[in-house]
Amino acid sequence: MARPGFVLEVDERTPPLLFHYGEGFRLEKLPLGSRVVYPSEPLPGIRDVDALIEHALEHPENCEPLSALLKPGMKLTIAFDDISLPLPQMKTPDIRGRVMEHVLEKAARAGVDDVKIIAALSLHRRMTPAELKRAVGERVYRSFYPESLYNHDAEDKANLTFIGETEQGEEVEINKRAAESDLIVYVNINLVAMDGGHKSVPVGLASYRSVRHHHNVHTMMHSQSYMDPPSSALHQSTVRMGKLLAEHVKIFTIETTLNNDAFGGAAGFLQKREWEWSVRDQASFLATKRFTDRAPAHVKRKVFGKMYAPYGVTGVHAGETGAVHEKTLANVHRQQLVEVNGQADVLIAGLPYVGPYNVNSIMNPILVVCEGLGYFFNMYKGKPLVRPGGVMIMFHPVANEFHQIHHPSYVDFFEEVLVETTDPSAIESKYEQQFATDPWYIHLYRNSYAYHGVHPFYMWYWAAHAMDYLGDVIFVGGDRKTVSRLGFRTATTLGDALDMAAETVGTSPRVTAMKCPPLLLSDVR
Amino acid sequence: MKKNGSLLKDAKEVARGWRWTHRPLVPRSVELPDTEPNDFPTAWARTSVGRAARAALQAYALKPLIDYEVKPRVEGLDVLDGLRAPVIFIANHSSHLDAPLVLTSLPPAWRERTATGAAADYFFDVWWRAAATALVFNAFPVERSGGKGRATNLAGVMIREGWNLLVFPEGTRSKDGWVRDFRMGAARLAVDHDISVVPVALRGTYQAMPRGAAWPAKGRKPVTVRFGRALYPRTGEAAADLNQRMRAGLALTLSEDRTTWWDAIRNGHEDEASGPQVARWRRVWEASTPMPVARRAFPQR
Repeated sequence: MARPGFVLEVDERTPPLLFHYGEGFRLEKLPLGSRVVYPSEPLPGIRDVDALIEHALEHPENCEPLSALLKPGMKLTIAFDDISLPLPQMKTPDIRGRVMEHVLEKAARAGVDDVKIIAALSLHRRMTPAELKRAVGERVYRSFYPESLYNHDAEDKANLTFIGETEQGEEVEINKRAAESDLIVYVNINLVAMDGGHKSVPVGLASYRSVRHHHNVHTMMHSQSYMDPPSSALHQSTVRMGKLLAEHVKIFTIETTLNNDAFGGAAGFLQKREWEWSVRDQASFLATKRFTDRAPAHVKRKVFGKMYAPYGVTGVHAGETGAVHEKTLANVHRQQLVEVNGQADVLIAGLPYVGPYNVNSIMNPILVVCEGLGYFFNMYKGKPLVRPGGVMIMFHPVANEFHQIHHPSYVDFFEEVLVETTDPSAIESKYEQQFATDPWYIHLYRNSYAYHGVHPFYMWYWAAHAMDYLGDVIFVGGDRKTVSRLGFRTATTLGDALDMAAETVGTSPRVTAMKCPPLLLSDVR
Repeated sequence: MKKNGSLLKDAKEVARGWRWTHRPLVPRSVELPDTEPNDFPTAWARTSVGRAARAALQAYALKPLIDYEVKPRVEGLDVLDGLRAPVIFIANHSSHLDAPLVLTSLPPAWRERTATGAAADYFFDVWWRAAATALVFNAFPVERSGGKGRATNLAGVMIREGWNLLVFPEGTRSKDGWVRDFRMGAARLAVDHDISVVPVALRGTYQAMPRGAAWPAKGRKPVTVRFGRALYPRTGEAAADLNQRMRAGLALTLSEDRTTWWDAIRNGHEDEASGPQVARWRRVWEASTPMPVARRAFPQR
């Protein structure tokens, strides 16, 4: 049976603890009395996934069975979550492909000819043919690519449809093909509580015109946290949009949840509790550490990129978006929720090599900020793990390195915007429009594999709440010049970082570390 | 930056962190999973082949090693003369040296028929440690956390088969070198099977190899093994009463070793075994006072 997550209190018996450090790892001795939040062990994956999918499609939540919705001559659009999920990428067969095969099987039987499959990537980079093939499976790829399996294009004005405005004036504009379909089937992977629900179609298939209504500093500052949808202004906005959209087009949502089995094989030690490391785990760590210390960055990325997670599927639910998402969230919580009593003065986290926006790519400094102050800081329900005015210490090298194809606007954001200011509101008001409408960035987004020009701004907004909330942010082992540009401080060792933190929180702070990944969501009481 | 640490440095860090030369530890705040009692089989170690292998190991490996590392002095073996086997040897326990010392102090005829009670959670946790313990010490697993009578069941069977038992009624090694309260298992066995109990006083083992030490201290520390007068369960005696007498008997033997037999019985120094009721450090300090090296008119070696 999977053991639940728990809070460890560090004592003299505790071995050094492993922390991710970008494309490397560190062993750290935490001060005695520190607390460490450990994630739950992977829940057992469901053995007969096909039967589970079939049951979900034929016994949906709040909706007719899928087979009853499929009619000859209808326009069917299947949209799916893009390369940003899951993290790390899962071993094939990808659950999205498996679900799609079931949907298509039924569509074929029902005589549906007009089927389009769209990667709902919003303002993310396009997926390469190989990435599409991996996500949807060879059979679907061979049958549909390239005419009927393609990436959503948020800048193809001719292929966007304006649906209307919500009661709060939020414009809803989505992919024309999807908007004109008789049925949209959305296939998601709900890795964290932020994903899915009404965030799927109204965001994944939307344009900048629509996305800007919730991807902004004001919304982010009122999303506390965006990993807790009821407390998230971001989600409230997408729900309003989703409801408006549902009045115009029928959406059949299929949501899937995965367990915490993120690292398999020789990397299994990454998700084991340190005091339970066998000799083999210790040897694996030493070998891995040796490799990550010595190998060039591009080789490490290649190797890490090929480390596919042996995730097990913990749930598949289908039907009306809201009803489905409730069940999905319960599944996510079942795997990830860990109760923690009280907030800390200092929060420590090791940032891993992968985030949603650097799959098969480079985690540049702005993505590091998003990963740490955006995602890791926000992995809470209730209140943050750290108190207001507390300090967050993160392990990451924060190298000044960018993927020139995937993140061109990031380079300019780093070189031109951050030298002027790091204040999210100032950045938003002064620079966002310029980057969002820059023809060159739009060209690269549409024709190359670049993230949209506005994407680095969103990454910065993602971290806005943490920046406002924390008293200090320190990167241990980070590149001094780069971190300074980001507006934060660096320390060589954890000891130094704690000394620096003492300026803000005193000399005997309550320290809490989070061991993540595998993913955990702190339920702070 | 730590980034490019050498393999040696990393290996040292792992070796220190995971205590390569010691038993790994688990943080206190971590709840231990409910483990099933360890049913490692030990009967094979009491077959004729096992006995022959053990006799050779104890005589030609264990005893020379003990003699090399510490300076043992054995007293009171005459109490075994005329004693009817099986018996239960009970000893105070403060070191991993205790069991091998008692075993190697016994005359071969007694040693060959003596089995040792060993903590199931400690000595029988992995197969190789369990096998080695069973073979060398003729050990049988004792569940320390309330083993539902399993240990005493097995011990009872062994007594019926004529095996003497060596048990440490304190249940674990003393943290400060003084004798703790006794658990009831040994007394219950003696009462149930109506067999005698021989107290064995061990002195100097705490100084030679206390808890936490992986090997005896340098310098061949002196240790003494003194066999005390055997105790017989009285007719109708309750196990708790025998347990009291066992503890008093062991205390007397310890006192006798520290002073003389005459002083020990005259002054009734039974309570000295549990040490002075003072701060912990003073108890440890007192217990770790180096033992005087006995001077002999005619050295044996």
